[in-house]
Amino acid sequence: MKNKAGMIGIIITIIILIVVVIISNISTGNLWAMESAVGKLFMPIQNGIVYLKNKITGNEQELSDIQTLKEENQKLKDENSQLQEQLRELEILKSENNTLKEYVNLKDKYSSYTTVPAYVIQRSLSNYDKLIVINAGTDDGINVNMPVISESGLVGHVISVTNDTAKVQTIIDTASNVSANISNVQESVVLKGTLNSTDILRATYIPADSTILQGDEVVTSGLGGIYPKGILIGNVKTVVNTQNEADRYAEIEVSTDFSNLETVLVITEQ
Amino acid sequence: MRKFKVIIIILLMFFLIYFLQSNFFSWFNIGGIMPNLFIFLSLFIGLFVGNKMGGIFGIIFGLILDFAIGNGIGFTSVFLGVIGLLGEYFDKNFSKDSRVTIILMLVGSTILYEVATYLVKIFVSGAEPEVLTFILTLFVEIIFNTLLIIIFYPLIRKLGYYMEDSFKGKKILTRYF
Repeated sequence: MKNKAGMIGIIITIIILIVVVIISNISTGNLWAMESAVGKLFMPIQNGIVYLKNKITGNEQELSDIQTLKEENQKLKDENSQLQEQLRELEILKSENNTLKEYVNLKDKYSSYTTVPAYVIQRSLSNYDKLIVINAGTDDGINVNMPVISESGLVGHVISVTNDTAKVQTIIDTASNVSANISNVQESVVLKGTLNSTDILRATYIPADSTILQGDEVVTSGLGGIYPKGILIGNVKTVVNTQNEADRYAEIEVSTDFSNLETVLVITEQ
Repeated sequence: MRKFKVIIIILLMFFLIYFLQSNFFSWFNIGGIMPNLFIFLSLFIGLFVGNKMGGIFGIIFGLILDFAIGNGIGFTSVFLGVIGLLGEYFDKNFSKDSRVTIILMLVGSTILYEVATYLVKIFVSGAEPEVLTFILTLFVEIIFNTLLIIIFYPLIRKLGYYMEDSFKGKKILTRYF
């Protein structure tokens, strides 16, 4: 009896955990999945009611040859599974093609730098670090403090390196500081990562007399000796004004999608 | 032979947790926040295996993590080692038979480990302190860890006592005679 109660408790906990994970990760754009699930649950009931209604009101159409329809249905099902198989193969080819395209685009975009391409092979296991490990190291000419970029913009810099791997501190890490320029601002600002976000940086030390607008482009300033000048970091999302002018800050939306980052380039010579 | 088997089980558990942390929990998370099962693994070894094994394994696991994806070498190692030794202290002073006790031990250990890790992040790596965000993140992490312990408690208990028997032999609680 006690065992049964324990098992029920465990099942309830698993359900709670799954629900919490789904709810916490759901975005309004993903609500179609829920709609689809609800639809699947209620559609048979809905169909049944409509069928009954038609039967009562005499609107139903008699199915002349159920057997023919069944055969046709089976044929369509087979065709469908074949098409799905082909689709899966195409998806794999598409993914490979995208990765290769990314490499080519990256090379073209940053052709003025000498770069080494690499894959992201590991991400931080902690909630408080945002480091990545890439599959290129000293054997490929990579050293500490070399900048790392992606097709969409700045990623971070190398903090330690082995023969065939390198650890990269991303710009979204809370311990990262990047000197940057905002389109209309002459002086440079400092960008820092935040603990609870993987796509927002906080720009501080904004000059009091400067005008920053939403959407302004943010690029590296070239100060600090690590990052070359002019690499895209992101765009201004919001400007937060405080009572003290010196404390005002801006939130910068990074152009690199760190959640899905797979390929990067390490700048070995600037 | 049984001790060797237990050590193999511990190593397999570490690799399983490493795989889960780096793959499974990167998408199965609560608002981007993952649990930290390495804390539980060190505590678990300290609680059931004892003989300073919690501390030793904590240090080894911490070093591997530091080399693999750590911000610096040694901090994770020291903190996990301390959690392992804390497990032995808990074993001497509290009962392991209650799910609630195990959960409370884990909550305490998670707070201790994560606060220490975050302090290192602030004072050594130079991160800007974000106290409220840190507390909220830690709270969610604790809830996540707790839910996992509730789910896996029967398995943890069974495996734990098997390990305890292998290392410490069957215990006779003389105080009850």
